[in-house]
Amino acid sequence: MTDAANGRRNGMSSTAPMRAANDELQMPVALRWYLVHERVILGTLVVMLFLIGWEGLERGWWADMLRPLLGASAERLQLKPIFISSPTLIAAAAFRMFFVTGEIWRDLAWSGAGYVLGLGLAIAVGIPLGLAGGWYRRFSYAVEPFLSALNATPQVAFLPLIVVWVGTGLGQRVLIIFLLAVLPLAINAHAAVRTTDPRLVKVASSLGASDWRLLRTIILPSAVPFLLAGLRLAIGRGMIGVVVGEIYGSAAGVGAMINQAGARFQTDKVFVGVLTIIAAGVILVEIVQRIERRVDVWRAPA
Amino acid sequence: MAIPANLELAAHGERPRSSLTRLYLEHERLAIGGGTLAAVLLLWEALGRSGLVDPLFISFPTQVAQAGWQLSHGRDFWNDVEVSASEFILGYGAALALAIPLGLAVGLSKRLQYMIGPFVDTLNAVPRVTLLPLIIIWCGIGIWSKVVVVFLGAAIPILINTQSGVKTSEARFIRVARSFSASRLKIFSSIILPGTVPFIFTGLKYGAGRALLGVVVGELYASTAGLGHMIADAGNTFQTDVVFFGVLVFMATGLIVVALLDAVERRFEKWRPRPR
Repeated sequence: MTDAANGRRNGMSSTAPMRAANDELQMPVALRWYLVHERVILGTLVVMLFLIGWEGLERGWWADMLRPLLGASAERLQLKPIFISSPTLIAAAAFRMFFVTGEIWRDLAWSGAGYVLGLGLAIAVGIPLGLAGGWYRRFSYAVEPFLSALNATPQVAFLPLIVVWVGTGLGQRVLIIFLLAVLPLAINAHAAVRTTDPRLVKVASSLGASDWRLLRTIILPSAVPFLLAGLRLAIGRGMIGVVVGEIYGSAAGVGAMINQAGARFQTDKVFVGVLTIIAAGVILVEIVQRIERRVDVWRAPA
Repeated sequence: MAIPANLELAAHGERPRSSLTRLYLEHERLAIGGGTLAAVLLLWEALGRSGLVDPLFISFPTQVAQAGWQLSHGRDFWNDVEVSASEFILGYGAALALAIPLGLAVGLSKRLQYMIGPFVDTLNAVPRVTLLPLIIIWCGIGIWSKVVVVFLGAAIPILINTQSGVKTSEARFIRVARSFSASRLKIFSSIILPGTVPFIFTGLKYGAGRALLGVVVGELYASTAGLGHMIADAGNTFQTDVVFFGVLVFMATGLIVVALLDAVERRFEKWRPRPR
């Protein structure tokens, strides 16, 4: 406190961290505990409030509570389950679909198959394409117009064409996932080659290293962080592909399940599907980020 | 081939060349790119016209051009354009108006970030188009369900980028300003906001892509009008030329929007605080 007072007298306020440290010493224990865990506490509190508010809308808690105040218009605060469902209904539906009937596993397997194939194809095509474009200038000039055109287009607009070409089976989903996921992979692989340390390449090639050797020992190792970043983007784009490909015309898969449940106003099932996709996305991105952190260790210092 | 020119080794091999070669080398990028594009279009035309591949499947460029010419003289097409454009503008405009102020607020206030974070992270983890069946239940298949999808698609990247822009403000500048007893408003308007502008434009660029995606998916999924509706309809009736023309319109829109936002982003690039 005296520090701050001195500071003010000298016409300068003391620095923020100092003041905070002073304040902290004089705080009661409970408050200090709250401040340390503030993020978790506030986050949980708001999420709980949100869930309770939602549950209450469906069960009519708020309508009952406000009826004396608002009269008949309070009924508007009770919404039909087909409209918004509720957290407990969704949890019940999830339990049923995962553990009782087990119907969602078949959809998950179906979606997973399309996703893995589409993403695999995107990796198999996108990364070599990007590496080649980064290495051979003329090749990059040749493919550039197509890639930038594809990049600017919302790729899902190709869906009706893809359906004309390959029908609505597995091929349709593999192709749309491929189209969405290939660009971030190719663009990042391209950038990876272009940012390889030219001195290393110069030294190696003047010592007579072949193109293949250069690729294997210099370019690929330094490209790995870029490729992983591209993969992270591609995973997210691929998710869009799964969902859109399936809601547009497919008989099975999580997206198709969402679509059918939506058409029958089974809102709880729709939410289960959406939450399943969220969980899958979070898990996949988390895995890639773990690998990225690992790899970051052996990224050459700039 | 062993020594790529992009590594700036080509200069060593420079020899006097004829003027024609030099002209080619100066415009090599354009020449190769344009050449490949023309070759692909020609091949496509030949495949379609010769009947080697059924035009029902792949159409061909002149047929697509013809379909475009016919469409642009009908009223339906312009109605579709109007519907799609208003979905895009309303949804994207709402995202701008809400996500930028919210992003600034979340970036400035730690507590607000703790409160809103869980929701933003969840929405960010899921392709927002997944919510489409729900949004259709809530808003019907008219224009508003698409406006909501576009809004959700664009708002999240704008919000996240704005927030991270605020977070990366130069701490030294803020400390200096504070020690010269600048007011909070002054610090915000003269240090934090300018440093955030480039991030906002990056968010706007991503958001535009997502917004366009929302228009297409929303209209493919359930709609009564719009360019996506036109494409889906034409696909169902095997009018491949119309589908291609619709895709071209989306492509052109995407190119224009990205080019515009790229230009704006570059213009403000030097406002970006350097990472340290």
